[in-house]
Amino acid sequence: MKAHFLNRVTPYAFLAPAGVIMVIALLYPLGYMIYGSFRDWDPSQNISETEFVGIKNYITLFFDPAFHESLSVTLIFAGSVVIAEMAIGVGLALLLDRNLRGMSILRTLFILPMMIAPVVVGLMWRYMYHPTVGTFNRTLKSMGLQGVDWLGQNALLSVIIADIWQWTPFIFILALAALQSLPRSALEAARIDGATPWQQIWYIKLPLMMPVLVVTGLLRLIDAFKVLEVILVMTEGGPGLSTEIVALRISRTATEFRELGTAAAMSNYLLILLLILTLAMLAFTRIQEARTARLARQVQEES
Amino acid sequence: MLKALKWAITGAVSAVMLMTAALAGPYDEYVGETLYVNFPAHPHFDAVMRILPEFTKETGIEVEVDQLPYLKMRERQTLELGQDEGDYDLVAYVVFSKADYVFADQLENLARYFMNPMLSDPAYDPDDLIDGYVYNIGFAGGNKGYLEGKTGSLFGIPYGSETSVLGYRMDIFEKHGLKVPETYDELLETACKIPELEPGMGGLSSRAASGHHASHAFLLHLAPLGGRVFDDQWNPIVNNEQGVAAANALKTIVDCGPEGASSFGFGEALGSFLNGDTAMFLDTTVVAGQINDPSKSKVVGKVGWAMHPMGVRRGSQTGGFGIGIPRNAAHKESAFLLMQWLTSKKGDKLVALAGGNPSRFSTHDDADVNAKFPHMATFGEALKHADPDWRPIIPVWGKINADLGTTLSKVLTEDLDIQTALDGVAERTRAIMEDAGYYTWQ
Repeated sequence: MKAHFLNRVTPYAFLAPAGVIMVIALLYPLGYMIYGSFRDWDPSQNISETEFVGIKNYITLFFDPAFHESLSVTLIFAGSVVIAEMAIGVGLALLLDRNLRGMSILRTLFILPMMIAPVVVGLMWRYMYHPTVGTFNRTLKSMGLQGVDWLGQNALLSVIIADIWQWTPFIFILALAALQSLPRSALEAARIDGATPWQQIWYIKLPLMMPVLVVTGLLRLIDAFKVLEVILVMTEGGPGLSTEIVALRISRTATEFRELGTAAAMSNYLLILLLILTLAMLAFTRIQEARTARLARQVQEES
Repeated sequence: MLKALKWAITGAVSAVMLMTAALAGPYDEYVGETLYVNFPAHPHFDAVMRILPEFTKETGIEVEVDQLPYLKMRERQTLELGQDEGDYDLVAYVVFSKADYVFADQLENLARYFMNPMLSDPAYDPDDLIDGYVYNIGFAGGNKGYLEGKTGSLFGIPYGSETSVLGYRMDIFEKHGLKVPETYDELLETACKIPELEPGMGGLSSRAASGHHASHAFLLHLAPLGGRVFDDQWNPIVNNEQGVAAANALKTIVDCGPEGASSFGFGEALGSFLNGDTAMFLDTTVVAGQINDPSKSKVVGKVGWAMHPMGVRRGSQTGGFGIGIPRNAAHKESAFLLMQWLTSKKGDKLVALAGGNPSRFSTHDDADVNAKFPHMATFGEALKHADPDWRPIIPVWGKINADLGTTLSKVLTEDLDIQTALDGVAERTRAIMEDAGYYTWQ
């Protein structure tokens, strides 16, 4: 009886430390944030001294035009960078998936931008975009062209370019790893059947890479929703609110406006949005897998 | 016999102890204590770091400094000041933190320290402290809750404070026979004349980037042009005639400024002046040290200083830092002694000579200080007109400031109509004020 009980308990005992860590490190802060979002909370106050305001913070945000603008800036920013980075990253991986001399050095060079601290990236780009002494405008002017008002009129485009520069390597490195682990037999069979390189990419490589690409895209998307430092350093959200993404607005609401409750509510909106996107992506992958499995079954049955 | 001897010895020892106490210096009780203070990374506080060893030598009190970037400092202080026992004995706070800290009862009222004869130095001469700075940075509870007034009292002492002055390129002004602007009309006219006279050079470099920068630049013009953000009943009046004039002034300055001026933060605005890209710079006095530093500046020896030009009144800004004692500090009395020493006539002169911003009128007039920094007398003159009410210091200001700054940025970059923009700011400000209870008595 005792042995039986011990047998049953043992797995839970082993799982317990992980469970405790998860509760402390993940669920407690999350719960704290959700609890805080229902309160009128100034950073000088202890949370117990704050006043319960129900869903007032959520309602205020729902009708706040500045929050709407931030949200649309975030969607445009995240959408553009993920699409561009996926296209360039996967393209580069397809190009460089071969045995070139010095390939390992090239690969290291490609992933360098990703390793630089975001604040440094922001500063570097801010100076490169400088209207008079910046690299871009000096180059344009030396070619006899007009300078561009990078961080003024074209601020959102400028931060998108900087993000693409920094994070394309992430997609590249994962796409390359996916490409190199593809079954060579499928590609050989395609080549023997006379598939052109385009056909190989389109019908063999991309579909086989898809599960990895979906996860990669999802990771990038989640990250793009939370970019803060680079934009903070480059534009501080300006001009106007044109580059103020939600993460930056959350930070300003907490530190500048000193409204922790509203900042927490905003974080929860962002969390819900990301959760919906993640679930949609996972559902999409599930449907894809189910379809592939069904097709495979059909092929098997037919043969 | 033995008993009598015992009494005699006890009496003698007590007498010696009493005499020692009577003759002891004000610092003796605190010798060997270590104070933990929080200062920002800022040119003034870099100068303070150089004079702190002198304090330790004189008093025997050790000081350990936690120097943080000033925006990070506020976050750290918010956490520290909210605890039952804090780590800091003395903090330097940014002027707009005054409202939050005093309102949350986190700073010591300094009255009981200045009333304590064992702590307060009779030679301190508080009237020599610059009025505008004291009322802007140290005072709370007076008129409007944040200004001088019969109901107010002192919670901090200005230290590392600054006002606005006009820096101009003497060589350029001389070359074209230009007059140093004394009024706003002259300022705007000269600012737009310079790009015509010196192609490629901007008139005046100003901050203009979205948020705090644009708002700061606008308020810098609002006070001299006769405007205010609120009337005495807390009604927003930023959209009145004077407000529009101030926004127009900012727009003119940015339009006639160096290339890309609309995205300039403080760093870029100063950088462009130091780089020789503009002929004028209207901002804080804190930059004076850098302008004559050959490693940072291409305009060494070419810059003259004048008072912030006048509109309908004189009204240079007041800002920067003050020092206060947290309510939860462990060594409050010795922290007061440090505070008093730093802001005394002697300490103020020492820090000024080390490159800091003095807080006293006498230091601005001091012969030694002027011999080393000839601009100091002009700064002292400008300080007589420093306006402690050029910007409201109320807890909800952060939100209003951000809205004002982003809206003005739209005026500068997207050509939004000034009146419409300021009407929007006034309307949103009213809602914020309403929410914060400022109209409860109306």
